Amino acid sequence: MNYPVWYVPTFGGGVLIALVAIIHVFVSHFAVGGGLYLVMTEWKGIREQDQSIIVFVQKHTKFFLLLTMVFGGLTGVAIWFIISLIHPAATSLLIHTFVFGWAAEWVFFLVEIVALFIYFYTFGRMDDHTHQTIGWIYFGAAWMSLFLINGIIDFMLTPGTWLANHNFWDGFFNPTFWPSLFFRSFMSFMLAGCYGFITATFLEAGQTRHKMIRYSGIWALISLALSVPAGWWYISVLPEKARGLVGGVSPTIARAATVAAVSLAVLTGVVILLILLNPKKARTRVLTVIVMVAAMGYMGAFEWTREAARRPYVINDVMYSNGILKEEVEQITQKGFLKTAKWVQNIEVTKDNQLEAGRELFLHQCFACHTVGGFNNDIIGRTKNMSYGAMQKYLATIHEKRYFMPPLVGNVAELKALAAYIAAGLHKKPLTEDAVAVGDRGKNLFDNNCAPCHAAGVLKPKMAGWSKEKIRTSLDILPALNPAMPDYSAPTADKNAMSGYLHSLNNIGSAAAPPKEQGAALFEDNCAPCHGFDVLKPKVSGWSKAKIRAALDKLSALNPGMPDYTGAAAEKDSLADYMVKQAGGAK
Amino acid sequence: MNPASLIPTADTLTAHWGWFQFLLMLTFPLHLFAMNAMLGTALSAFICHVLPERPYRELSHELSKALPFMVAFTINLGVAPLLFVNVLYGHLLYTSTVLMGLFWLAVVPLLIIAYYLAYIYDFSYIKLGSLAVYVVLAVLLLLMSVGFIFSNNMTMMISPASWLRWFATPDGTLLNLADPALLPRYLHIMTGSLAVGGLCVALYSSTVLKLDSSLVKAGTRLGMQLFTWLTALQVLVGTWFLLTLPGEVMKRFMGNNMFSTGLLVTGILLAVATIITGYKRKVMATLLLTIPLIYVMSFIRDSVRTGYLVPYFDMTKVPANMQWSPLVFFLMTLVLGLVVIVWMLSKLPVFRKS
Ligand code: HEC
Repeated sequence: MNYPVWYVPTFGGGVLIALVAIIHVFVSHFAVGGGLYLVMTEWKGIREQDQSIIVFVQKHTKFFLLLTMVFGGLTGVAIWFIISLIHPAATSLLIHTFVFGWAAEWVFFLVEIVALFIYFYTFGRMDDHTHQTIGWIYFGAAWMSLFLINGIIDFMLTPGTWLANHNFWDGFFNPTFWPSLFFRSFMSFMLAGCYGFITATFLEAGQTRHKMIRYSGIWALISLALSVPAGWWYISVLPEKARGLVGGVSPTIARAATVAAVSLAVLTGVVILLILLNPKKARTRVLTVIVMVAAMGYMGAFEWTREAARRPYVINDVMYSNGILKEEVEQITQKGFLKTAKWVQNIEVTKDNQLEAGRELFLHQCFACHTVGGFNNDIIGRTKNMSYGAMQKYLATIHEKRYFMPPLVGNVAELKALAAYIAAGLHKKPLTEDAVAVGDRGKNLFDNNCAPCHAAGVLKPKMAGWSKEKIRTSLDILPALNPAMPDYSAPTADKNAMSGYLHSLNNIGSAAAPPKEQGAALFEDNCAPCHGFDVLKPKVSGWSKAKIRAALDKLSALNPGMPDYTGAAAEKDSLADYMVKQAGGAK
Repeated sequence: MNPASLIPTADTLTAHWGWFQFLLMLTFPLHLFAMNAMLGTALSAFICHVLPERPYRELSHELSKALPFMVAFTINLGVAPLLFVNVLYGHLLYTSTVLMGLFWLAVVPLLIIAYYLAYIYDFSYIKLGSLAVYVVLAVLLLLMSVGFIFSNNMTMMISPASWLRWFATPDGTLLNLADPALLPRYLHIMTGSLAVGGLCVALYSSTVLKLDSSLVKAGTRLGMQLFTWLTALQVLVGTWFLLTLPGEVMKRFMGNNMFSTGLLVTGILLAVATIITGYKRKVMATLLLTIPLIYVMSFIRDSVRTGYLVPYFDMTKVPANMQWSPLVFFLMTLVLGLVVIVWMLSKLPVFRKS
């Protein structure tokens, strides 16, 4: 709201950040752990007076230099560029709060560059002791970079007592600082071992190659083993909300956890294989690729979880992902979002500008996490089951029902405008208020959607003798019946209501009974946003009404991703009624 | 719509603004030196490929070895001033960054490609054969295009009037091309950079390469000629730039603001002096005049920015909430880092022999 938004509808910035961040993390952790690996391995070579090891280290240093300094350094700059583009307000807050932390990190970056250049260019031209010292300086500076960045990244998830006093050090040494520092350090050593394989596979077969592979494998394995308790420690110090998200409330984190577990297993297995066996060169390469992919999966899952665990915030408890400060919410709600925001053209919602105003609200409040017709978290796909009325209800409690989304910040007119933009602007659905209205709902829908081309009287004879199911099915395939007819892309409940109405034209007295209609409407408002009945049907088929009714009392226990149903008992009864009928279960 | 209403609120500073201004003005010229040396090295190496005499061919080989270092230090030394610009002008910078998002992000791949090409040029100089000239030309053009993107962002961020275009074009494809000062400004800084880069090549040839007298001669001649001619050309480009500035900004340098006017006069005098010493191929004297000249130019640049922002933003009014300990921590880190760097350099074989 304070800043403009980089708006490419089908393309969300979040994916871009995640992509570059995972690549960067994968290289920059290597830049730290690899420093230790280089000096330790060089030392091994010196101790054992084995020139082949020194040659290996020198080769590895060249690879290391080209990868970490060029690619690692620049992807770091890239992250800075991207976050300032996608999250300008948060970047500004972080930069202002931690400017001297960043500045100190820059000094270490400078020391790293000088040390690495000298280390690389003086192999064999400097006495061992000094050369080793330079290597240690490199590692020290690289690890200090990690130390500093770690504090700032963790601050975003757990700002801790900074919230109260805005003290630099309290924000820096925040609750997840130490576990994360340990975890990241072990990760970086683990990666160093994995990258060691790469250079090793280029060695000629023979003694040294397998020796270096075994050596790197042991590095990776020990560090990997140590990273697991550190990761556990990390999760255990998370604040309650974030732990809930990590524990399954967030669907994307649940996916990440699976990736992490699989990667961990594969990584361990393949590394052990590489240590124990002495595979041929070609096989070693294949295995190395698998190791790298698995290591990336493990790290990527961690980073993804860390990012997602602070949702809906970009800085936990301070600023939402869409740049709105938590402390401003109340004031903005009173004044109206559009009046407070800077980068909007519609200040007041009117009948004429409703859709445009809704679009601006979407842009500033939802686009941070939702694309429009894109591949990531597409809002069109996610709202296809919702009518205008359902959308309004959903938005009113969006944060309460789905903690990982920020509340809609704005007044009632703005809420309606956003709902209208999604329902009518994106889906071309009618803007009728009465989602819960019973009785004539089907007729209303017919009047709005079909009557413009053919009145009910014209259709009636054509459908004589049709069963309700047949009518219902045909509503799904209108263009197939007649190519001139557009698809009727309405929520299932709407189609049900309409088919009930159409059926009643030829079968007087058989219109759907009100209680069932109410259940359908409730389902549409409260459940369909996440899963249409078609998804649920196989799961609850065969359930008794009592079982369904009981389940409605403990939804969050069934799946931590589901919010509890907060409606009255009578509502739950009619919902259960509806569901049991739909599923064809026992009474 | 009044563009001033679009300007985001600036965040609270954690130290007096003067500290950030000081650090910005301290580190930005360092970035300029490195950047100039980098561009000058690339340009000189390219010219060397075109010239037929033998010493030039060897000179380009020598320059190829230096180029990756220059790229590394240009980037590193760019991080610090960019950080301090983020602190002082972040709310403006991020806004124009969003407007030109696509181009801004392009900086990274452009730099990565240029950087790797510089390494290919260095490590595979011999293997490349006649291709080398194209590689170094590509490096030069890529780096200059990065400069163009920066010029756009640095000028768009101080022109809120141009921001209204976002409402029609929010997809991050805007540039500041309509600004009449953009092109002369970019040419001004590129001409200056390549000139100073020439000087750096002359310096490099006359110090590091001092073992081979034909190289010293070739490098010094090429570098100083570049410097002198480009600086002479700069008198024209600089005047053009000055004349395209908005009236109020230009008048700062014509007597409305004594400090800025003094800077410009000093800058011109220094530039004329360097043209003379450059013409006489006096490397050290030219260098000693150029170092203050670059600082003066950085201050002029800063005054231009302040001038543009007069109707919109005054950094002295941004609230500050002083926290000393992080600042002290940084300054200590800086001193320690510099000591360690000097120690490491002192261990280099080149310095140990002499
Ligand atoms: C902090 C990021 C974020 C913001 C901001 C956000 N959402 Fe979501 N939204 C999500 C995530 C994550 C999901 C679930 C994705 C999944 O299931 O994998 C989701 C899902 C949804 C769904 C599908 C139903 C559901 O509850 O799962 C709807 C509808 C939706 N969002 C609407 C909105 C609207 C409207 C806004 C703006 C007011 C908004 N969202 C803002 C992250 C966000």
